[in-house]
Amino acid sequence: MGAFLKTPKEWPLVLTGRAAALSGSAGDLDLAVRNGAFEGLRRAVRDLGPTGTIATVASSGLRGRGGAGFPTGEKWRAAANQPAGQRYVVANGYGADPSVRTDATLLAADPWTLVEGITIAAFAIGATEAIVAVRAEDTALVTLLEGAVLAAEEAGFLGDDVLGSGYRVTVTVRPVQGAYMLGEETVLLKALEGKRGQPEQRPPYPTERGLFGRPTVVNNVQTLAAVPWLIREGAQAFAAIGSKASPGTALVQLRGPAGAGIAEVPLGTPLAELVRLAGGIGKRSLKALLVGGPTGGLLPADLLATPYEFDALREVGAHIGSGSIVVADDRACIVDLARLLTKFSADEACGKTIPCRIGLRRLYEIGDRVATGTPKPTDAVLMEDLAHDIVASGLCEHERLATLPFTSGMRYFRSELDDHLLRSTCPAGVCHPIAVGAAATPGSR
Amino acid sequence: MADLIVRPDDAPLPRRDARPDVPAVYDTTTPREDSLAERLITTQSPQRPQRTPPIRIEVDGRIVEGFEGQTILEVCRDNGIEIPTLCYEPKLPGFGACRMCVCEVEGEDQPPISCSREAEAGMVVRTQTDELRRIRRTNLELIFSDHNAYCLPPCQNKCPSHIDIPGFLKANAEANWTESTRIFKRTIPFPSVLGRVCPAPCEEHCRRDEVDEAIAIRDSHRYAGDQVIRAMLDEGIDPPLPFERQAPSGRRAAVIGSGPAGMSAAYYLLLAGHDVTVFERDPAPGGMLRYGIPQYRLPKVEVLEAEYESVVRLGGRIVCNQELGKDFTLDDLQNRGFDSVVVAIGCYDTNKLGIPDEDADGVIDGLEYLRTATLGLTYPGHAGSRVVVVGGGFTSMDCVRTSVRQGAKEVTLVYRRDMKDMPAAGEVHEAIEEGVTAIFQAGPTRVITDKKTGKVTGIEFIRMQLGEPDASGRRRPEPAPGTEFVIPCDRVLLAIGQGPDLTWIGPGSDQVEATKNRRLKADAVTFETTRPGVFGAGDVRIGAATVVQAIAEGRRAAYAVDAYLKGNDLTAIRTRQTLAEPQPEFLSIVPFTGEIKEPRYRLKALEPEARNSNYIEYEIPYTRDEAVAESTRCLQCTCEAIGFCDLRRLGIEYGTTLKTLEPQFHQGAGYRSVTENRFTGYNHDYVRDDSHAFILREPSRCIDCGRCANVCAEVVGAACYDFMRIGFDTLVTTPLDMSLNDTPCVSCGRCAETCPTGALMPKPRVLQKYEVDESRCILCGICVDACPYDAVRDSDQFELSHTSREEPMIDLLALASVERETEMSYIRRERDWAERARAEGRLLDQSRLLPVLPPSLVSGNGNGNGNGHGHGHGTGNGSTHAHDR
Repeated sequence: MGAFLKTPKEWPLVLTGRAAALSGSAGDLDLAVRNGAFEGLRRAVRDLGPTGTIATVASSGLRGRGGAGFPTGEKWRAAANQPAGQRYVVANGYGADPSVRTDATLLAADPWTLVEGITIAAFAIGATEAIVAVRAEDTALVTLLEGAVLAAEEAGFLGDDVLGSGYRVTVTVRPVQGAYMLGEETVLLKALEGKRGQPEQRPPYPTERGLFGRPTVVNNVQTLAAVPWLIREGAQAFAAIGSKASPGTALVQLRGPAGAGIAEVPLGTPLAELVRLAGGIGKRSLKALLVGGPTGGLLPADLLATPYEFDALREVGAHIGSGSIVVADDRACIVDLARLLTKFSADEACGKTIPCRIGLRRLYEIGDRVATGTPKPTDAVLMEDLAHDIVASGLCEHERLATLPFTSGMRYFRSELDDHLLRSTCPAGVCHPIAVGAAATPGSR
Repeated sequence: MADLIVRPDDAPLPRRDARPDVPAVYDTTTPREDSLAERLITTQSPQRPQRTPPIRIEVDGRIVEGFEGQTILEVCRDNGIEIPTLCYEPKLPGFGACRMCVCEVEGEDQPPISCSREAEAGMVVRTQTDELRRIRRTNLELIFSDHNAYCLPPCQNKCPSHIDIPGFLKANAEANWTESTRIFKRTIPFPSVLGRVCPAPCEEHCRRDEVDEAIAIRDSHRYAGDQVIRAMLDEGIDPPLPFERQAPSGRRAAVIGSGPAGMSAAYYLLLAGHDVTVFERDPAPGGMLRYGIPQYRLPKVEVLEAEYESVVRLGGRIVCNQELGKDFTLDDLQNRGFDSVVVAIGCYDTNKLGIPDEDADGVIDGLEYLRTATLGLTYPGHAGSRVVVVGGGFTSMDCVRTSVRQGAKEVTLVYRRDMKDMPAAGEVHEAIEEGVTAIFQAGPTRVITDKKTGKVTGIEFIRMQLGEPDASGRRRPEPAPGTEFVIPCDRVLLAIGQGPDLTWIGPGSDQVEATKNRRLKADAVTFETTRPGVFGAGDVRIGAATVVQAIAEGRRAAYAVDAYLKGNDLTAIRTRQTLAEPQPEFLSIVPFTGEIKEPRYRLKALEPEARNSNYIEYEIPYTRDEAVAESTRCLQCTCEAIGFCDLRRLGIEYGTTLKTLEPQFHQGAGYRSVTENRFTGYNHDYVRDDSHAFILREPSRCIDCGRCANVCAEVVGAACYDFMRIGFDTLVTTPLDMSLNDTPCVSCGRCAETCPTGALMPKPRVLQKYEVDESRCILCGICVDACPYDAVRDSDQFELSHTSREEPMIDLLALASVERETEMSYIRRERDWAERARAEGRLLDQSRLLPVLPPSLVSGNGNGNGNGHGHGHGTGNGSTHAHDR
């Protein structure tokens, strides 16, 4: 484990820079410190102070890597300004998408950058409790992280007295068991409280009322892991990486007919570049890119120039999501693929709201009718209407985004849908699951 | 390391200046951390202090005032603006599961939900735009696409008297014939009679038809009724009364006519405590039941008289040989001290055909013929004759089948419409089996007589072709010229419908009016005629109809007369009857799936050859096992929540319900339920759980709003329910779907009270059975405190007053307004009080401590060293001082 794809030299490595040096001994604190670990924390505590740290993060333009791309500095500031006796920082390392291993791979290669990042975050917003939520199934990773936290505590990097400054930050590793929905922040908080993982209506946002009703910052592992580098090298250096609106780098899980792997790429990299990184398209022609995991969008070949960053992807009907990019060649049937993805989302729904529990299931059923050649004449309209209403009345991002495979499919591959609907033919000659399908089903964790 | 997260205590107790010379003041009014009251304040939105500054927002173009911190929904509700909700529980903060309360806020793309969104000053909110209504409609349709349940069962709706059919079938399935009959008698007093003569409109609409075949509803109540009659005749057990009989009112009512309408009116008036006398012009009571329906369909002594016995046993007097207009007038009755008169004389005047030679010798009134037959007499000269019966109703059917039994050589039935449009279509096969010739789509044009004798020799018919549907929905027959044909015969029996004989209207019985259609003029709801104190019900008001319709008329008239006799406002009856007998609104729902097919148990009948020569009842009744098995087939597709259901109310408002289950025109066979919903697909069929004594769970009706789970966990504290399973299969239920008996359920009924549908219901049928033995009551009042349904209350004088059993006992609205402490909340509030007091430095008086308290705790406290938590600053000091003094 731990192999990151080789990327061009000019791409800076914010997250995985230390991974090569720590190779084989990820849990070695001394080695990590020799390679620059906890320098950012030192700078934050000694030089910047809480307000300065938040200002630095804000000016770097760092945006949340969990999928929504909310500016991290703003989130921290909101939590810090909320009057409360207790605040929390939660690192979402659950890695909900079963086909994506980016977060776990990063943590296994270098746990220190997260430990440092979450301590900085806790210090910045005035939280004494920081929680790292990871998959309970991943016992080796849990052990590694717990060891890392203990070692760092013993060394005085965190605990009752962070670097002798008098600040107290207790970092806890919480193995959580659950389902896909834990990727949603309010769901994760519910799970941490020991309740059933179901989302809460936002606002109020967790920065206002989060874990146990206290202000809470929930950040993705990658977001927090980027913080030490950012503090160490300065906001300007970070802002210079990637695109202007979405600076920094992100880990992507690439899968294609000719290769697969995890790579750290600067945001704003064109999708075509990422396809090349995944080993190209092979002998066949590219049909679609699934960008964003099971709730991602299906993008056609003529959108390969789209930069891989939050706003541009949302505009074309996809999103960064879990950081997964699946390259599908012409053997894939769009209807079949969208049906499969929708079924996954429907089956993984927490069941709280009507549009999600029943609506996604009905969306899948409509797709299933189309794919199996038994559609009703109104099904195309019905699909569009239902997707619209789910988005309009949804509670959490999961149900809104879960309509993306079908809405983007209808947007870019309408003729293929019409072939199914009107001519009862499948141009790809499928309507049996394709190779990429297996990756998106829970069975292949 | 994994469990290090503890709920923080962010408000450390203020340090109190402890002065030995000032007695410590202990705060006993502020609620403790985990007391119910404290949690209500922190979790319940309406309990939020309303002292926050007022704000103004604009809702649907209206400026309304609310308070800072209120949600949009709360502001709207306070100002009387309705926003639909399904999952919102006023005692709890917004949950946001149903997505029905979406609203539009100006300047925002995503419509927020009003139950969670705080109102902000100057907000512009719209609650009823087309887009919002469309979203809500989609949501409702999605709910209904997985809502495997009905409101009113179609059978009950189709029954003119709205019998609780699932109710008595359930009692039947338990072989509890008395209870079954009791339920039946709530709406119809004569289960055995109706079990033989009812056309059973209910069975046509039975949903069991979607699985295999409709339930034999009529045969089932027939069996139950027969058992009660048998018990009465053989063992002297009184038939069950549907309601407790009311105390004598001292008012007298006269009922004219002892047919089904009159006798059921008498029955319910007797139950209401009035003194009733029934006047009958014939030598024996029964009206059409006795003189119109032949013995082979309704045995007179064994069934009719036995069922009428229940009226007599209630104290009803039947005076025979007294005819209105001949032996007495309405004036006479009212002069004799009858406070009200119900005219239920039925229809005995056979309609005329309006064709030449209609009065010839040999043309006989069908009713007159049947009357002779039911007296046990053979109509003179009938044996060996050729008989033609004109008409297609039940009378015509009785005429042909009686003619067969009286030895007519050749019997022909002629009806002008198609067979399927015939009112008595169900019986025609049996008649044909017995040897009758049936001719359809032919109407009589003239009667042919012998010129010399004047006797009938034949009758000429003309073929009819079917035109456009008329008001009754049947295609109108139109004569086809040139298709005349003659059937030679000796007798013509006319059975083409009857009207009432109204010749008695006149001196002594004036002020009563007839309608244009020759019916007695009486109101359809209050049954008042134009003469005060005189009511009209049954066939005389609506024209010749079925027995069940007549009985329904009689029962409803009895309610009206009762109200009149008690001096109540009759117009109020209109509202009450509308409420009591809800008009149909159906949810477009999913069909039954996965039921085990089990064909209907049919009644066996005597062989045609054996039955066509005698008057023995030809249908062989069920055996006990068959009756139980048939009733067990009932799917119990009723809903106990009808009238309380939010889903149904919203479904009606948003047009996702149906007015009827009949297939739409040109839509082919089948119920509309299957086809109307855009999203019909795979659906759940859950098992009903009635293992708990008071709470009925029907998961098929659950819409997963989570209200029960939230109320049970947050208000009650028992937490019996939660969302279980995942994805589409998510269901709010108990862990492992266990019975409520195995959960920490305290039987408080709050879950049933909060449920917006009928998924969780108090069990009214069970509760009705509870009796209070007041002779043993010591007025301790515990039952009043404990009963979650307010079935028992105490009055001002501290006397026990329990609601009468005929009223619905469960007052859901009252229940909703009661804020009662539960066992769980009490325990939670009271537990650890000593520890809390110690932590806060409150003085514990040694002498007041109960001896059962552990000595360690007592001594620990007494030493004033109770600061065991490490965060109670200075509490140890205060306590020590207090103790030292």
